[in-house]
Amino acid sequence: MPNILEVDGIHTFIGQFHILEGVSLAVPQGSITALLGRNGAGKTTTLRSIMGLNPPREGAIRYAGEPIQGKTAFQIAAKGIGYVPEYRAIFRALTVEENLKIAERQKGDLAKRSDLIFELFPDLKRFYRLPGGQLSGGQQQMLAIARALVPDNRLLLVDEPSEGLAPIIIEAIVAALRQLASHATVLLVEQNFRMASMLADRYYILDDGQSVHSGQMADLVNDRPLITKYLGAGYAGTPVTPTPERSN
Amino acid sequence: MVASLRRNRALWITAAIVLLVLFWMTRRYEPKVTASILLSGLTLGSLYFLMGSGLSLIFGLMDVLNLAHGALFMIGAYVGFTTYANPRLILNMLPLALALLGGAMIGRWLGGFLPPTLKRGWANRALLAALLLLSLALAVIGLRAFDLAPLAAATATATGGAVATELAQEASGVYLPRIALLAGAGVLLGVALTRLGKAEARRRARAQTAIVGLLVLGVAFAIVPLRSPVEVFLLGLSTNARFLLALLIGVLAGAGLGGLIEVSLIRPLYGRPLYQILLTLGLGFALTEMVKSVWGTPGYYMDIPAFFASSGDNCPSPNLLAWFSDHCQSISVLGRPFPSYRLFIIALGVVMFVAILLLLQRTRLGIIIRAGVQDSEMVQALGINVRQIFTLVFAIGTGLAAAGGVAAAPFLGVNLGLGAELQLQALISVVIGGMGSYIGAAVGALLVGFARAFGDQLVLAGIHLPWAEDVVRMSPSIARASTVLIMALVLLIRPSSSRCSPASRSMRARPSSGREWSSRCSSWRCTP
Ligand SMILES: Nc1ncnc2c1ncn2[C@@H]1O[C@H](COP(=O)(O)OP(=O)(O)OP(=O)(O)O)[C@@H](O)[C@H]1O
Ligand SMILES: [Mg+2]
Repeated sequence: MPNILEVDGIHTFIGQFHILEGVSLAVPQGSITALLGRNGAGKTTTLRSIMGLNPPREGAIRYAGEPIQGKTAFQIAAKGIGYVPEYRAIFRALTVEENLKIAERQKGDLAKRSDLIFELFPDLKRFYRLPGGQLSGGQQQMLAIARALVPDNRLLLVDEPSEGLAPIIIEAIVAALRQLASHATVLLVEQNFRMASMLADRYYILDDGQSVHSGQMADLVNDRPLITKYLGAGYAGTPVTPTPERSN
Repeated sequence: MVASLRRNRALWITAAIVLLVLFWMTRRYEPKVTASILLSGLTLGSLYFLMGSGLSLIFGLMDVLNLAHGALFMIGAYVGFTTYANPRLILNMLPLALALLGGAMIGRWLGGFLPPTLKRGWANRALLAALLLLSLALAVIGLRAFDLAPLAAATATATGGAVATELAQEASGVYLPRIALLAGAGVLLGVALTRLGKAEARRRARAQTAIVGLLVLGVAFAIVPLRSPVEVFLLGLSTNARFLLALLIGVLAGAGLGGLIEVSLIRPLYGRPLYQILLTLGLGFALTEMVKSVWGTPGYYMDIPAFFASSGDNCPSPNLLAWFSDHCQSISVLGRPFPSYRLFIIALGVVMFVAILLLLQRTRLGIIIRAGVQDSEMVQALGINVRQIFTLVFAIGTGLAAAGGVAAAPFLGVNLGLGAELQLQALISVVIGGMGSYIGAAVGALLVGFARAFGDQLVLAGIHLPWAEDVVRMSPSIARASTVLIMALVLLIRPSSSRCSPASRSMRARPSSGREWSSRCSSWRCTP
């Protein structure tokens, strides 16, 4: 499989702080790749660097073989990269419909995708005319994911979709992300290791602004020492055997 | 938007105070006095809204407190008035301004060809300084002894009437070189601006820019021989048509100047709010000085267009319906005459309010603006060029202010103090309504307008205190202070400030400095 995204030794600064000190990763097309690491490891900053929101000072980023570092965020997004940020940054004053509409890159994008979106997230159909700020946390997360689905994105950068959500909602989001993977490649940042292990094919581990480890998810789930070393003891407690496909 | 209004306690408290005052007024004054106070309040409120809505939109979307807004209001008044009374002045200035603009566009394109080795370091700075100095020198030479004063003076004497065309005419042998020199100054400025920008701006500007620049230059030269026929034509129009034209030209001047200011001066400073405030403050003074250098210090009176100015035996019109056929200078409201032109100001405010509201609620641009008010960075990450939207909103905001300026000219007169006074009142109204909220700006403007009108009435009539024989008279500054008092009151009772939840922190689109949101959550922004 060719890589849709390649990040090559990027160094990113926020103010004068050197946050990313050499992050490299490759995301094969059609896969779900997980980006793991402790709090503050630099996962969010990596995604923001790719999006051009915190442009790296050094290193290269290639999307579908084409260098994109140094381009502005809107140019990068327009190439077909969708971003689902931390804390579900939906527009609270806009209705669900407007939240989706604003993501259109061409007229009619939403009409083309609305069936898929409503199938994945029936709630969004119910609250179509409600302001985003009145949705529950889970619904807001669904809206944030749906928003990235409206245009024809080939790569989605998803930052901690499970954060602060109840298990039952996480299930729904897992199911949605899994369906999503048949439409687009996903680079997934996730603290919920169980969720990450259920979804991802490959993983990268960031530590202190550097990419330190990578491999097949199937190998990682059984490598307790590695998990404890980089992801913290907290992870060791979570069941690490991937659960089979959710049976409905 | 509606939700934010619902939460805005300050607004409701102010509204309650106003209602109380209103109640007191109806008991105290005759109905005709109350009605005229209210109508005056509406008139002022309309002007405050035209100023404040732009201030609020610009602040909401890009966190820029544009303290040059009043100057643009004033420029709208001057440009509108001049278009109305003495178009020759505009026609003489236009080619020079266009030449500078066209030159700058060509310069931006040329700047892309400079060798990249000069991109950083002292060499670049030296080059930049040299370019700017040269540009300034050319502009100064080009404008040397360019005397508009006789034309401006002509306006002062012959308000609204025809002006001697040949006054202050320059021979083409002098005038054309001026245009060429200013075009040269523009080119150098454009090159300098290209070097000033960040990496993105330094990228080669597209050839389209240069082509448009050439076109603009062509227009500048083409206007020269057309000035006389155009002037004769304009002065032959009815005052009504000329007034509409004045409104249009004033708005275009305000919007164009605003867009230019955003692109060239404010854009390099996004993410540095303190610098921006200083910049816009200084810009306000600079623009005022510029106006002073063309129009001089004395103020002007602008005639009310004929549509609002008949005076016959049947005047004042007994009611609004009758007014539509007789166009009297004033309309009788419960027996007291009220100048009909002020109804136009009110109508303009209402029309603009509805138009912008529709724009915000019904169009894609409106959705983007409302989203950008919360989080412009996320809008950017959806593939939308937010910088373009910023420029557009800045131009819309300053255009609204300029519209207010033109409308205010026949009402308040045209003078150098016009902008500062209105800017203060508009700022107060925007703070009351909640910075960044559009409907809040409208409501705040109305409240401040009423307060001001009521204050004026108090000053005029004095207050009867129950225990005192004489009427207590107050100085006129009390009227002005009344609105400041309301703001102080609002700020005091406003619920505690920082409601910056993690989700509400909006991260600005700013290329390198990233997410220093803590400094951005200023107290007044997060409340509404
Ligand atoms: N605005 C900022 N100024 C200074 N340092 C920052 C800023 N934003 C983030 N950092 C630092 O950058 C590092 C990486 O942050 P980042 O948000 O990328 O981590 P993360 O891996 O996403 O963490 P989490 O799991 O908590 O979301 C952290 O040490 C953080 O303190
Ligand atoms: Mg993070």
